[in-house]
Amino acid sequence: MRIRAAAAAALASASVLSVGWLVGVPAVESLRSTLTTTLSSSASAEATTTTASGPGTSSAATTTPETTAPAAEAPAATEVTGTFDGSAVQTRFGPMQVSVTIDNGTITEVTPLQLTNDDQKSVMISNRAAPILRDEVLSAQSASVANVSGATYTTQGYLQSLQAALDAAQF
Amino acid sequence: MRHSSSVVSGVCAGHPAITVESMGTVISIRIGAAAGNAGSPHDEAPRAAARQAVADVFRGWNDRFSLYREGSELSRVNRGELRLTQAGSELRDCYALALAWRDRTDGVFTPHRADGAIDLSGIVKSLAIAHAGEALHGLGLRDWSLNAGGDILVAGDQTPGLDWAAAIVDPLDRSARLASVPLRAPLRAVATSGSAERGEHIWTTVDGALSPFRQVTVFGRDIVTADVLATAIIAGGRPALHRSTETFPIEVLAVLRDGSLLATPGLRADSA
Repeated sequence: MRIRAAAAAALASASVLSVGWLVGVPAVESLRSTLTTTLSSSASAEATTTTASGPGTSSAATTTPETTAPAAEAPAATEVTGTFDGSAVQTRFGPMQVSVTIDNGTITEVTPLQLTNDDQKSVMISNRAAPILRDEVLSAQSASVANVSGATYTTQGYLQSLQAALDAAQF
Repeated sequence: MRHSSSVVSGVCAGHPAITVESMGTVISIRIGAAAGNAGSPHDEAPRAAARQAVADVFRGWNDRFSLYREGSELSRVNRGELRLTQAGSELRDCYALALAWRDRTDGVFTPHRADGAIDLSGIVKSLAIAHAGEALHGLGLRDWSLNAGGDILVAGDQTPGLDWAAAIVDPLDRSARLASVPLRAPLRAVATSGSAERGEHIWTTVDGALSPFRQVTVFGRDIVTADVLATAIIAGGRPALHRSTETFPIEVLAVLRDGSLLATPGLRADSA
């Protein structure tokens, strides 16, 4: 329990740093408040619990505690080792969840676990551009295409462009 | 996909696009065939009014911001004849917007030339497109597409129930298309940056290395965002690409120097 509380506290700081780096300055403030609130409340809730962790709790920890640190306070994360999954938190960018690897109290890695959003209108951390084959790219019916996007053409270049051909077509 | 063959065939009895020359390129205007448009697209009067409105907007922006015109307001500011604080609010607002985008792109997009002069050409064309769209809206037109030199903004439908779509040029073969993408709400704008239409204009990244990208196309909610980020990704390389897709609601199709592609999930065929 102490370890999970400590990990949650570590997550609160580490994930804010990490996510802030990922999504940029404008997003940091809202994320900071959301994550800090969620994680510190979960930390304090768990610190008062005396039963062992079980399935269904918000933080799943796969951990190898090196010691049993005496302090019950969340900040006592100094000698913890393990990988901790934070709970998924709702942000205005969609649900977010991170995993933190702690080695002897030092955070060595923060990995995004769930940073997706079913609503494609929202900003998505998972919206990475990935390699794609040419025949895998979205294609509407060519008959409906009236415009071409490419590197800016000059007035002269326009005459040889696909756009000029489309513009002359009567549709 | 909302396409149907009957709708597509119904498109064919229309007009050629309306074209206007400005800013060194050609602006193509199409008016959708929806019943809600003022007048019918087959009437000449609304077509002429649309052409005039777009031409006026582009001329206004060009007069104020062109560095090719010695008498433009921006040229006067750069020569020191006019203080920035005395310049018109349009110029100052435009400069402020460009500076905001410089900050949002970590300085990759910049409104300053190497010699220190203010150069707003990276943002003026897309602002002109946005304002031209507002002008068309003011004419009562709800369904239109604007394409200024390859940067596209659309509103409404091409025909009732049929989205406007944009083909993306293949930079390895400019007569071929890489993709044809419906411009569905909310991503109604698309801009592409890359090597110039003619001649090998080599883009370098901010640190002086060759850009890993031959061409970058950005789909966005507004044309300024799409245009600025396409430029920033070309100039900023992969870090700028990932940062942009993580931060902004956009889709990106990037062509690497070897011709291979990178795409965000929304541009995959199976995502439609």
